[in-house]
Amino acid sequence: MQERAFRFGRARHLVGIAGLPSTQAPETVGVIVLNAGLVHRIGPFRLHVEMTRRLNADGYPTLRFDLSTIGDSAASGESQTRKQQICADVEDAMHLLGEQAACTRFVLIGLCSGSQSAHMVACSDPKVAGAVFLDGYAYRTVGYHLRYYLPRLLDMKRWLLVLSRRRQAPEGSGEPAFTVAPLPQAVVRADFAGMLDRGLKLCLIYSGGISRYFNHARQFRECFGRVVSRPGVFTRFLKEADHTYILTGDRNRLLDNVERWLSDNFPVMTGGSP
Amino acid sequence: MSARPETEVPFYFGPESALFGLFHASATPARKAVLLCPPLGQDQIRCHRLYRQLAQALAAEGIAVLRFDYYGTGDSAGGSVEMDWQRCLADTAAAANELRARSGVDRVLAFGARLGGSIALASAAQARLAGIVAWDPVLDGRAYVAQLDAMQSALRLDGQRFMVPRKADDVAAQWLGFAISDGFRQQLANLHVDRPAAPMLLLDSLASDAPPSWGGFMIDAAAVRRMESATPWNDPRRLEVAILSHPLIQAVTQHVREAA
Repeated sequence: MQERAFRFGRARHLVGIAGLPSTQAPETVGVIVLNAGLVHRIGPFRLHVEMTRRLNADGYPTLRFDLSTIGDSAASGESQTRKQQICADVEDAMHLLGEQAACTRFVLIGLCSGSQSAHMVACSDPKVAGAVFLDGYAYRTVGYHLRYYLPRLLDMKRWLLVLSRRRQAPEGSGEPAFTVAPLPQAVVRADFAGMLDRGLKLCLIYSGGISRYFNHARQFRECFGRVVSRPGVFTRFLKEADHTYILTGDRNRLLDNVERWLSDNFPVMTGGSP
Repeated sequence: MSARPETEVPFYFGPESALFGLFHASATPARKAVLLCPPLGQDQIRCHRLYRQLAQALAAEGIAVLRFDYYGTGDSAGGSVEMDWQRCLADTAAAANELRARSGVDRVLAFGARLGGSIALASAAQARLAGIVAWDPVLDGRAYVAQLDAMQSALRLDGQRFMVPRKADDVAAQWLGFAISDGFRQQLANLHVDRPAAPMLLLDSLASDAPPSWGGFMIDAAAVRRMESATPWNDPRRLEVAILSHPLIQAVTQHVREAA
């Protein structure tokens, strides 16, 4: 395996690291990992480095890179919406990995806002063959509320805690919050259906770190309906893990899942690098 | 701040091309060169943006800059568990030579935050550094290790992060997201940094409730500058929040500009 650093893109404004397996089978998909929030391309706690190196060892060419204005990447200088910018940046990334590893089809992987970026591109780009959404779109459901509130209603200690907190002054975090409004649930459901109709394979892995709005494996079905039961969809709820996989054991379990899903859906025809 | 992408070059260098670097060429022929030594662990991720902003500010002043990752960190080769103190010092020396070769400037100053400052101080002779700016460097390894251990232990029960409390085994042999070896842990616990012969500036932004003991380290009080705002290095609630500081960038840029 060899890692190479690139400055690339339509305005040569993007920075990324391509991981190129020493031997590569034809038709192998390229894997592109997108920024999680504002963390630069190495990912939270170096998650993206560990992920891409594992996949390189399996024989997949990879690219972890910074989108425009994130990490080491600059602005392209174009007048574009953020969505247009992300789609164009990923297009540039696919072009680079195609040049370096001769792959024509790609799998996008994103955590949190990276998942939203992957979703945007997967909706329309025919070169995308699959996507891994880590803590992607999710919505509170009736089931969520029942699972959340019922145990609390029956917990006397919690009632006492709530009452004592009410007596204290309200405490604001003081930190500004920059968030992107999620797409409506019906739109995401339709998007998933459209992706599957186009033959994409989807992998949704959600963590216990988003328990403010997602708290059980059943919620995939509650959120997205029958679309998640289709053969092209894999779902997994890693209840113990936090949102950014701070513990090494949790990171390994996540990477095991991603690795297995890729090998099941996009097998490398010859062996990976030693 | 505007960036001129073509003047920021990412590349691999060093033994077996294992080290990632990003060279910021100066806007005009370089008169000086500054090596930015990153901190380790989560501090490195938190400081990434600030290091980039500092590099761009220095480059705009006609100063060539190299940012890099030690072996086992960032985009460099090696796993986190392979982090090694002696290797960090050797990598810093390799990076200083790489900066000399790319900039054509022999006289290299270094900047480092937290353990990056400690590394710059400890590698001053080996890397032939002409001056050092250290921001809240770690000088007491034993206390630092105890602090990381305490934060790691508290992480296990963090209800904001985990739906269910984690077992002690789940959080063992790691510090705030990064696997660590026994050897590295011992190296940090035994950390002892001598005051380098090269001129230095110490920027202090540690919280006032934990007064640092720079007195034993810094002979010249004039070389210590107190920053107005405390930097929340050890606040677990801000573990994943970027460290940004314009006063820091101004202080470093001014110091390098005025350095002989």
